[in-house]
Amino acid sequence: MALPDSQLYAALIDALPDPILVVTGFEPGDLTGRRYILANTAARELLRINADEGLLLSAVRDPVVLETVDKALFDETDAEGAYETSGAQSKSLKVRGRFLGFGRDGARLALLTLHDETEVRRVERTRVDFLANASHELRTPLASLSGFIETLRGHARDDATARDRFLGIMQAQADRMARLIADLTSLSRIELDEHIPPRGVVDLGLVVGEVVEAAAPLGAQRRVKLEWKSCGKDTHPVLVRGERDQIVQVAQNLIDNAIKYSPDGAAVRIEMQSGLTDLGAAASPEGTPRLSLVAPDPSSETYAVLRVADQGPGIARQNLPRLSERFYRVDGQKSGARSGTGLGLAIVKHIMNRHRGGLVVASAEGEGSTFTAYFPLAGVPESKA
Amino acid sequence: MNEHIVKSYEDELNGLSAECVRMGGLAEAQVADAVNSVVKRNQDLASAVVARDDKLDEAEREIERRTIRLIALRQPVADDLRRAMAAMKVAANLERCGDLAKNIAKRTLVIIESDPLTPLTRSIERMGKLVQGRLTSVIDAYSRSDLERALAVWSQDDEVDEHYNALFRELLTYMMGDPRTITACAHMLFVAKNLERIGDHATNIAEIVHYEITGAEMTGGRPKTDALQA
Repeated sequence: MALPDSQLYAALIDALPDPILVVTGFEPGDLTGRRYILANTAARELLRINADEGLLLSAVRDPVVLETVDKALFDETDAEGAYETSGAQSKSLKVRGRFLGFGRDGARLALLTLHDETEVRRVERTRVDFLANASHELRTPLASLSGFIETLRGHARDDATARDRFLGIMQAQADRMARLIADLTSLSRIELDEHIPPRGVVDLGLVVGEVVEAAAPLGAQRRVKLEWKSCGKDTHPVLVRGERDQIVQVAQNLIDNAIKYSPDGAAVRIEMQSGLTDLGAAASPEGTPRLSLVAPDPSSETYAVLRVADQGPGIARQNLPRLSERFYRVDGQKSGARSGTGLGLAIVKHIMNRHRGGLVVASAEGEGSTFTAYFPLAGVPESKA
Repeated sequence: MNEHIVKSYEDELNGLSAECVRMGGLAEAQVADAVNSVVKRNQDLASAVVARDDKLDEAEREIERRTIRLIALRQPVADDLRRAMAAMKVAANLERCGDLAKNIAKRTLVIIESDPLTPLTRSIERMGKLVQGRLTSVIDAYSRSDLERALAVWSQDDEVDEHYNALFRELLTYMMGDPRTITACAHMLFVAKNLERIGDHATNIAEIVHYEITGAEMTGGRPKTDALQA
C-alpha cells in the first residue's frame, strides 16, 4: 500500500465538507499573534476569506469563537461553543476547538472546526413558530366560546332571544375551530407526503366541474355567480398526474377564496386550458403584478391550467409574497364574515409542490385577483386535435 | 540580550486595530443577543447582555490607553496617526452600541412581564436583522480597510429609518387599540429607537473608516427620511 503523500493530505483536508482552521497563538494578550495558518475551502467560503493564512480576527471576530480558540490554545483543553453568522443567510454553527501542540516557531497550535447545524435549528424553529401560531389561532374562537358560555350561565340565562343569538355565534366559532383543525390535519398529512410524487391520473375537467357544482350553493348564498368554462371543445378529457383528493382540495380552496372575497353580484371565472408549455404564456390581464408562489421545475413538461379569477378587492403588491404563508391573512384578523383559517393557500402551495406543478397569482388593488394552478399533464395523447 | 519582547511600532498599530475588531465582535454579539432576547422573550439572554456590557467598556478603555501610549511614545503622523485616531473613535462608537444593546436588554426584562405582541416582535426582528447587518458590514469594512463597503453602509441609512417609521406607526395603532399594551409598546418604541441609533453609529464608523483610508471627510448629505414627518 502506497503511503498517501502530503499533497493528498492537503487535498483531503481541503475537500472536507466542514470548515476547518488551524490557529496559532503565542500569548493570551497578543491578538495579532492569533493567526490562521490553514483554512480549507469550506472555511474560506463560510468566513469569506480568500487566503489560507492570515489574521484570525480578520476572518472571525465572534466572541464565542474567539473564546473557544483561546481555551484550546492556552488552557490546552477541548472547547465548544455555538456561533451564529450574521447576514441574510444566517447560519448556526457548532464550534469546536482542540489543542494540537507546539509549532516549530514555538507557537501554540489549535484546531478549530465548525459544524453547520442550520438545518436542525431551522426545523426546530419552524415547529415552535407553527405551534405558537396554531394555538394562537385556536385560542381566539375558544375564548369567545367560553365567554358566551359564561354569559349564558349568568345574566342571559333566561333571555331566550339572547340565548338563540349566542348559540348561533357559538356554533360559528365551533365550526371555525373544526375547520382549523381539519386544515391543520390535512396540511400535516400533505407535508408528510410532499416528497412522494403522486401516482394517480385525474381528469381535471371532471374534478373541477364537480367542485364548481358543490360550490354553487355557497356562491348563491353570497350572491356570487360562478362561470365555469372548461377548455372549449369537450372532446378529450384533460388528464393530469395527481391525487384526486388533493386536486379537489386545490380547486376547492381557490374557488372558496374567490367567492369569499367577491363583492355582491360579482362573478368568479373558472377556466381551464390544456397543453401549455410556457408558463408565462398563461398570462392574466397584462400589466398586473404577478408572482409565482410555487415555481415548477424547469422542464419540458406540458401543463394543464386551472385559472380562478375574482372581481374582489385585489391584493396589494407588497402582500403578494406572503400569501402562502401559514395563517397569513391580508386583512388581518378582523376579517369577520370572511374569516378563513389562513391555511387555504398554504395547503394549495404544498399540494402543487408535491404535484411538481406551479401556482401563480396576479393581482392589483381594485382589480381582482387571478390564481393560476399548473398541473403536469399525464402523457398527452397524440391524437389530440 | 534584552529579555523583553520589544514590539515594533507596526505591531503596536496592528495590535490596536485587532483589539478594535475584537471589540467590534463583542458589540455585534451584544446587539444580536439583545435583539434575540426581545424576540425570543429570553430573560437569561437579556441578563447576560446586561452583565457583559462591562467587557465592552473595558475594551474601550484599553484601546484608549493604547492609543494614548502610542501617540505619546511614537508620535505617529499621517496614515499612522489616522489609524490610531480611527481606532479610538471606532471604539467610542462601539461602546455606545454596546450601551444601547444593554438598554434594549434591560427593556426586554420589562417587556416579558406583559403578554407577547407577536407581529410587533417580528417587525423588531426584521429591523434588528437590518441593523445587525449594517454593523457587521461596517466592522468588516474597518477590519479589511474596504472603502467601498464603508461607503455602501454610509449611503444606506435611510432603510433603517424607514423601518423605524413603519414600526412607529405600528406601535401607535397597537397602543390606540388596546391601552393595556401601552407599557410594553412604549418600551418597544425605545427598543426600535435604540436600534435606529445603533444604525447611526454604524454610519459614523463608516465615516471614520473613510477618513482613516482617504484622509478626507465624507462630503454630501446622506439620504434621510424624517421620522417626525412620517
